Amino acid sequence: MTHRIGIDIGGTFTDFALFDDVGRQIVTHKSLTTPAAPEEAVLEGVLALTRQAGIAAADVSMVVHGTTLVTNAVIERRGSPTAMIVTRGFRDVLDIAMEQRYDLFDLRIRFPEPLVPRTRRFEVDERIATDGTVRRPLVLDGLAEQIAAVIERDGVRGIAVCLLHSYANPSHELAIVEWLETTFPALRVSASSVIFPFAREYPRWTTACLNAYVQPVVDAYVDRLERGLADAGFAGQFLIMSSSGSTLTPDMARRYPVRLLESGPAAGALMSARHSRWLRQPQVLSFDMGGTTAKGCVVRDHVPLKRYEFEVARVHEFKRGSGLPIKIPVIDMIEIGAGGGSLADVDPRGVLRVGPRSAGADPGPACYGRGGREPTLTDANLVLGLLDASSFLGGRMRLDADAARTALDDRIARPLGVSVERAAWGVHEVINEDVAKAFRVHASERGVDYRRCSMIVFGGSGPVHGVRVARKLRIPRVVCPSGAGVMSAFGLLASPVGFELVQSLRVPLAALTPARFGQITGELEARVRAQLASAGVDLARSHTLLRLDMRYEGQGYEVEVRVPALAPERAIAELPGRFADAYATIFGMSFDDRAVEIIAWKCEVQGPVPGSDEAYRLRTTASPAGALRGHRPVYQPEEQRHVQCPVYDRYGLKPGDVVAGPALVEEAESTCVLAAGDTGTIDAELNLVIDIAGARA
Amino acid sequence: MSTKGPVTVDVISLGIQWDRLISIADEIINTLVRSSFSTNVRESYDLSCVIFDSRGRSIAQGAYSVPSFTGTAPATLAAMLARYPAGTLRPGDAIMTNDPWIGTGHLFDINVMQPVFRSGRIVGYTMSITHLPDIGGAGFSAAAREVYEEGLRLPICRLAAEGVLNEPLLELVRTNVRVPEQTLGDLLANYACTTVGGRMLNEFMDEYGLDSIDPLADAILEQSERAIRAEIERIPGGVYRNRIEIEGHDAPLTLACELTVRGGEVHADFTGTSAAIRSAINVPLCYTRAMSCYAIKCLTTPRIPNNEGSVRPVVVSAPEGSLLNAVSPSPTGGRHIVGHFVVPLIFGALADVLPERVQADSGMLNLINVQGRTRDGRGVSSIFFASGGFGALAGLDGAPTTPSPSNMTGTAIEVWEDLTGLVIESKALLQDSGGPGEFRGGLGQRIEFVNDSGSDVSIACLAGRTDFAPRGVRGGRPGGLREIRLNGQKVHPKGRYVLAPGDRLTTLESGGGGYGPPERRDRAALAHDVAQGFVSAGSARDDYGAADE
Repeated sequence: MTHRIGIDIGGTFTDFALFDDVGRQIVTHKSLTTPAAPEEAVLEGVLALTRQAGIAAADVSMVVHGTTLVTNAVIERRGSPTAMIVTRGFRDVLDIAMEQRYDLFDLRIRFPEPLVPRTRRFEVDERIATDGTVRRPLVLDGLAEQIAAVIERDGVRGIAVCLLHSYANPSHELAIVEWLETTFPALRVSASSVIFPFAREYPRWTTACLNAYVQPVVDAYVDRLERGLADAGFAGQFLIMSSSGSTLTPDMARRYPVRLLESGPAAGALMSARHSRWLRQPQVLSFDMGGTTAKGCVVRDHVPLKRYEFEVARVHEFKRGSGLPIKIPVIDMIEIGAGGGSLADVDPRGVLRVGPRSAGADPGPACYGRGGREPTLTDANLVLGLLDASSFLGGRMRLDADAARTALDDRIARPLGVSVERAAWGVHEVINEDVAKAFRVHASERGVDYRRCSMIVFGGSGPVHGVRVARKLRIPRVVCPSGAGVMSAFGLLASPVGFELVQSLRVPLAALTPARFGQITGELEARVRAQLASAGVDLARSHTLLRLDMRYEGQGYEVEVRVPALAPERAIAELPGRFADAYATIFGMSFDDRAVEIIAWKCEVQGPVPGSDEAYRLRTTASPAGALRGHRPVYQPEEQRHVQCPVYDRYGLKPGDVVAGPALVEEAESTCVLAAGDTGTIDAELNLVIDIAGARA
Repeated sequence: MSTKGPVTVDVISLGIQWDRLISIADEIINTLVRSSFSTNVRESYDLSCVIFDSRGRSIAQGAYSVPSFTGTAPATLAAMLARYPAGTLRPGDAIMTNDPWIGTGHLFDINVMQPVFRSGRIVGYTMSITHLPDIGGAGFSAAAREVYEEGLRLPICRLAAEGVLNEPLLELVRTNVRVPEQTLGDLLANYACTTVGGRMLNEFMDEYGLDSIDPLADAILEQSERAIRAEIERIPGGVYRNRIEIEGHDAPLTLACELTVRGGEVHADFTGTSAAIRSAINVPLCYTRAMSCYAIKCLTTPRIPNNEGSVRPVVVSAPEGSLLNAVSPSPTGGRHIVGHFVVPLIFGALADVLPERVQADSGMLNLINVQGRTRDGRGVSSIFFASGGFGALAGLDGAPTTPSPSNMTGTAIEVWEDLTGLVIESKALLQDSGGPGEFRGGLGQRIEFVNDSGSDVSIACLAGRTDFAPRGVRGGRPGGLREIRLNGQKVHPKGRYVLAPGDRLTTLESGGGGYGPPERRDRAALAHDVAQGFVSAGSARDDYGAADE
């Protein structure tokens, strides 16, 4: 039992990585995703992978799984019919929503439909006040008939219980839960105070509704997976990745399915965090660019930054405010509508625009030869010589360079009166700018100086753009990790089991006594531990992280502060200083004379990080022909022309090898591009570490 | 196929550099928002940041800027440079004003400008504009009779000279406002963010090896102007008129416009509009112009970024002394209350020539100003933003409870109650408030507040649509009227009321107007509306002609 398997289900491929914890080796596998029944590809792949590694399923101690199941169920509205119980007078909160337009100039904006239709929301008499006291007692008269009717009529299987101020006093919600469990034992119930006890009714209730909406889907899926793995002889621990970067047991995933949103993308960021340790670089930017989107994340002190709100099912994929707001702990990802399939055109201003529209997989870029006529980023990169028509995807797919040229000429070069090469470079550079801009804004909003970070690049297009994006951000070093194509599956295996609760409770710092502090944090931690213990997690080697959202009284911005693991008196004494430091990091200054208050309390309990802290090495078959494959012309913007550049085979490079830019390093899933003056070195773990020309490393 | 790059600003570089300038303006806004202490800036984004070239032409504006600031900044900068000519400015100088007629229409908005130096020369300017938390005087209300009662009016003056703050001036502001720390804090936030903007503009010029951004500005303005002109040319040429009545202080007011569309230009003239009144809802021409530009932009080129080129083809005029071209000393504190109606006024004028684009009237916002004290003794001075319904468009029902044309966010009930001690007993969609139509107007809402704070609470509502309902277009019917009730009794909507402990305030927020004749509404859509309770069975029968079941 010294092997662990990570499985990441993506839109097209399901990626597998098997870690051998003794030999510190990694074996990978890729199979086509089976969207109708994702567990099929999973089970088939596990068998293929163990065969490839020469072990039995019984030798595997742990399977960790990342999935887009929940996200897709919400986007495609394939959840189960859901009802809602709500404080009298407030059933329309889901329709009234944010009362804000997410685009000021587009009059035709649309908003997402609520997950629970108005006809299935039932009001109850009750009212909790803002301080948690009961204003009006709970009365359940007439509710049973209404609920029985929608079970009968609409086939309702899940119900969300959403009362005002339940984060301050959950007793009414919990009483309703108890009543439902005895009256309607077949219904799955999600109470907003349990799912995320946080002030602001619309996002909290939407989160509870989403949990109820996807619960039956997740139940059935987890059942099938567990059964399938057991049938194959697997007897180890089965875990599912959550949005926050820690894993959940199947029981917890069934209870909190909303926390599986963004389960997949979290894994890539986690692997970057793991690499940051191996590379001894505490601050890194993680940059993943695939076919339709680019994803970024800031890793600080080896940990990806987190946030606590997320938007799902956006009407406009990249417009903030156009989706359903969800409160969950989630890795703080940047999402950019930029990928290989991003379509280029001339916008209403008469200048070049690239993305966020994407050609998708069908018809795909013009060079795929599947009928696409519009130029994409991949077409531009092919014309620039950054990609090769015959070695794309390890030679599995031949690209049509003429089709790429024609598309760029028709839609960009001729309308704008420039050469095809210039147009192609423009497309490439617009994407570099967009990515750099997104990182710049994201990092500076969080008080991170991106200039001192290294960048870890992966995904099909990340390594193609990394060094140019780094130049724009004045970043000195770019790392193309070995096995970048299956980074996410790696990341799954580098994460501990864990759970976090966030509790809204406003306490002025001046009024905080050690006794109160101990009581609040003690109760919160007990709740988190109870969740983990009842889900069968061994808490023997766990540790607790306590964070507070604090702010100056009267100011709307909270700053997260880590609470030191000290006795209450000493912890409280350190809070003002820690708050001032955290505030100054983000806002550039702090104030001595202003009163500070705590707004929310966050408690996270994590198990140990599984596996060895040492680096693992990907088991590959070294290319016998040597590293240098030949030369091909690559467009150099500084010279405004194509120049012959060496092309290396990634699998032929050995530790210590040095590659001087301009050069290309090809691997199965991507091509790492080095610009003029860059120097790439292969490290002991076969990572390609690129020092950017002119930057002070 | 051409193989050589063009000789002027390369169109490929133009796109990239243009977007970068907008990104810099966005980052200036980020800096501003993060260092501000006022809700107007932080949560409502009642602000704008603008970058100019060395000739004072605005070339990039932050994407978040609210409609009130469309195209106002160049005139503000020109006035500042007339007072302090470019040749006299030094690095670290900052100029400011809140004059309603030089800036953006009321004393609350402060305009702060800094020149951007590069190798000893001015290469551009950065400006930020924010709604201050307080400016003294009558406070945020329509109560003033002259501008002198509205607070501190700062002529064009120096906020800083060569990096040293003008302390006597700051002291003057400090002594004249109710919340000096917040107000001074926001002044300094404006100063800091324009400084940051200047630094970023220099870094941008380093990266692209530019000595001047003026050639880039030429290209940006030319492309923008060409794009909006091309769209305006698609509107059939002609003269289009509209006239609406709106609520005044004690008598209705008339807004009239005549739009002349010709040769890629729109001339909006507001002759026929009522005269300015002695209540602080008068609109300086700069604000009338901003709202006109915003309306035309929504109808023609919503995707073209704001700059001087994109507003050049829109010419605005109004008789001096009228409500839409009020002059000093007319009070203007609540200029948006009237000014926001310029948008539906223009949409209405163009309804017959742009039927696929115009929107029926929206229910608009109600600003419920609350002053009091919580049970634990905290002072309360807050605004509750309550949205009416959005107007319908061709092919699209209006969204419920959506602000227009400004975009203040609604406050969460749980946050509001904690902040004010004013309990909300219900907040529900108003059945039948959406104007009937082939496409239905968005529903308004009904909100019930109860004073649970234990002490008196003073309330004033700033909103229209209480006498004149949001109109439908092209056969669509009007949305429901806004109404204010105190303990169940309908009251004058513009009054100031005191809620004793236990008293109840009810607001009915108006719905959006409908689009097209209601008889043409898709029967399945109507059945869905009835099933969800958005439309009553009675209205389905009487307004939509549904057969009784």
